Amino acid sequence: MSSVEPVPGTAASAVPAVPAASAGPTLPATPTGDVIHDIGFRHYDGHRFGRGWVVRSLLVETVRGVFGLGRPAKSKVMPWVLIGILLIPPLVIAIVILLTGSDELSISYTQYPGSMELVISLFVAGAAPYCVSRDLRHGVMPLYLSRPMRRSDYVLAKFAGLAISMFAVLALAETLLLVGALLMKLPVGAQIVGWAGGILTVAILALILSGIALVIAAFTLRRGLGVAAIITGLLVVSGVVQILIAIAKDKGYPTAASYLPALNPYSLVDGLAVRLLGVDPSNGTAYPAGPLGLLVYGSLAVATVGACLAILIRRYHKVGGV
Amino acid sequence: MNPVVMRLTMSGLLGRRRAILFVLLPLLLLLLAGLVRWASGGEPQSTVDLTSHFALGTLLPLMCLLIGTGVIGTEIDDGSIVHLLAKPVPRRTILWSKLIVAWGASLVFAVLPIIAAVEIAGDEGTRLGWAYGVTAALAALAYTAVFVALSVVTRNVVIIGLLYALLWETVLGGYVPGVRNVSIRQWALAAAENMLGDRAPVWGVTSDVSLSAALVLLAATTIGAIVLAVRRLQTLPLTTRD
Amino acid sequence: MSTLVLDHVSRWYGNVVAANDVTMTIGPGVTGLLGPNGAGKSTLIAMMGGFLAPSAGTVTLDGTPVWRHPGIYRTIGLVPETEAMYDMVTGWQFVVANARLQHLPDAEGAALAALETVEMVDAKDRDISTYSKGMKQRVKMAIALVHDPMVLLLDEPFNGMDPRQRLHLMDLLRRLGEQGRTVLFSSHILEEVEEIAGTIEVLVAGRHAASGDFRRIRRLMTERPHKYTISSSDDRRLAAAIIADGSADTVDLTSGNLAVQAPDLGVFVHALPRLARDSGIRLLDVSPADESLESVFAYLVAR
Repeated sequence: MSSVEPVPGTAASAVPAVPAASAGPTLPATPTGDVIHDIGFRHYDGHRFGRGWVVRSLLVETVRGVFGLGRPAKSKVMPWVLIGILLIPPLVIAIVILLTGSDELSISYTQYPGSMELVISLFVAGAAPYCVSRDLRHGVMPLYLSRPMRRSDYVLAKFAGLAISMFAVLALAETLLLVGALLMKLPVGAQIVGWAGGILTVAILALILSGIALVIAAFTLRRGLGVAAIITGLLVVSGVVQILIAIAKDKGYPTAASYLPALNPYSLVDGLAVRLLGVDPSNGTAYPAGPLGLLVYGSLAVATVGACLAILIRRYHKVGGV
Repeated sequence: MNPVVMRLTMSGLLGRRRAILFVLLPLLLLLLAGLVRWASGGEPQSTVDLTSHFALGTLLPLMCLLIGTGVIGTEIDDGSIVHLLAKPVPRRTILWSKLIVAWGASLVFAVLPIIAAVEIAGDEGTRLGWAYGVTAALAALAYTAVFVALSVVTRNVVIIGLLYALLWETVLGGYVPGVRNVSIRQWALAAAENMLGDRAPVWGVTSDVSLSAALVLLAATTIGAIVLAVRRLQTLPLTTRD
Repeated sequence: MSTLVLDHVSRWYGNVVAANDVTMTIGPGVTGLLGPNGAGKSTLIAMMGGFLAPSAGTVTLDGTPVWRHPGIYRTIGLVPETEAMYDMVTGWQFVVANARLQHLPDAEGAALAALETVEMVDAKDRDISTYSKGMKQRVKMAIALVHDPMVLLLDEPFNGMDPRQRLHLMDLLRRLGEQGRTVLFSSHILEEVEEIAGTIEVLVAGRHAASGDFRRIRRLMTERPHKYTISSSDDRRLAAAIIADGSADTVDLTSGNLAVQAPDLGVFVHALPRLARDSGIRLLDVSPADESLESVFAYLVAR
């Protein structure tokens, strides 16, 4: 073929300012005048976004995916149903206050996540596999990692995405609680302080839950199994810890009983809130009194998040994941 | 009812990663039972507390969910069920065979460990063991059938199954009295209440539903689930992409 | 005993029409179902295999509807596109299991025969999870053949096969077709279809675009003139003679050969030898330039 046919679509992507001379290498013309023009790949010399932008886009995409935005309608149902369920109690509580005329919330800002343990666990159990299992299952990790993005970037982006989503949902619930309280003319100052404590609590909770859920999801490639494994893990741990606490109390080991709640993310966070902010514990759990208790709980929280991230980065060590 | 299907299902159920959970969870339960015994010295009340909430309320539904989705859910999900369906075997038979394997597995991996846990944790004679054994067996039959049916009907079976078993039965059941009438666990507990006779209220093993109503509801749910599953399997659309 | 009849079959999903009023008869021999990706080939095969109900129309095998009749699988062997299989059993165990599900009296014998046909006997005792894509494909073939079906439906069977395996499979399909079985396979790779299909069915955007032997279809496309490439002892004089005769529309000497475009094949084919003889020119090579399936296909797709 000695003529160059216009390839549809390249006109749109061509950089107009580039002179023809630099439109790619052409083979030297043969004596009879035959020549092959390079009209395929056009070299792009323009501005490229860097690593930070890549990570940011991945993060945004993760957050959107958790809430089902940009996905077919079916995948929007689960997250939003759970969010709806999560937001019902604040409404109910507001109504209760209206009806009973009390001057404080029936459940405090820091107690609220503990009471909705199950729903929150279900939400993160459904969201985490979506974040990581699909990429691993279909072997697209090499695609991701051939971009200007490191393994750790990918892990952090996914983690941050999930944590931010969790935080957003929980913070929304806390804020609804606040709004309800303010509408019911409860004392503003106390409510705002309580709300701030609640926000701090759910932030830590979001971090810990996201870490644990992502680790489990990264090792279970099938989405259904991932969801089941995460929820099983969270529920079983919660149940087991409860039983162990009861046993410890019965056998007269109150100190052990006060440290055991640290094994359950929800009570870990609750314990931190109780010691740091001086709020009431949820479910009447007893937490260790002195600074040692605070140290143990605090470092356990940090260590959990750190360990989860480390495991995740290790998991993606082999490109291709599976 | 078809031994070949049953054997394939069994190898599928036990040969995958989820089989780890089938061993791990019962073991965990037995360990807890041992600790409970050490703590309470074999006091039946503690056994009731352990079993009614953790074993029956959390562990049993979870195990049945894992088993129920394991016998048919994964195959539908990745399309390998086409090899079973492209055979001159009635779909009803295929479903029955898988269900029987699921029932068997839930009995071995969930019900028996629960009975063992009850005995380890402390019993009065064998009353609790029998009562909880029957309860767990009835509940397992119903749960497994429901989760198998859900696996055939929807791809979101795990979330829906969990929402039901945990949110509906446990949480709402705690707040809204009416919910307890529509709960497999409550229906099964009616059997325990009946078998324990006068000891039931002492230990707090109660159910809102009468025994006859409970048995009818359990049967209706189980049969309904099976019928739904067979009908859906008969018209299961399987396109190979495109 | 093995004719698939699709009668005004349509299938839609809401607003999307996957198959649009398709009527075709698939009889004994090898038939190629050809079409670009997204044309509805898999949908059609799923309906033929009883895995999808037509939204309109009927699919019958020798008069029996295929939908919701599991008994039909005694006669039909299906090779689906899905790769997933039961990973934790060995190839041997899986093929035997499938044979037993077919109620074969000698399941193990049939399984061994099937595995021999697809050359998987050496690897039969390894777990399926260790198989490569091509090996899994061959196991799928074995499963489809184990009960000696009269009808074989294959969805993109050459996917993932190396050249040697492809040749082997083509050979196998050709043999099965010659035995009088009805073999239907889908593909979007023209070379595969060209080589073994006696009949082709072309599917474009859900519609049945053409059916029959591709050479004869070519002849049916009278709107497009036939192209020939001729090399002779004196191209220029031959070109002049052809133009003077008027049996061809265009002659083209620029490419080193004589390229001719003739609207009426019959007239040209008779005129050419006469012109050559009358001018004393020796014809060295006369070949149709676009009778490949490719050009037929391109034409049909572009319509």
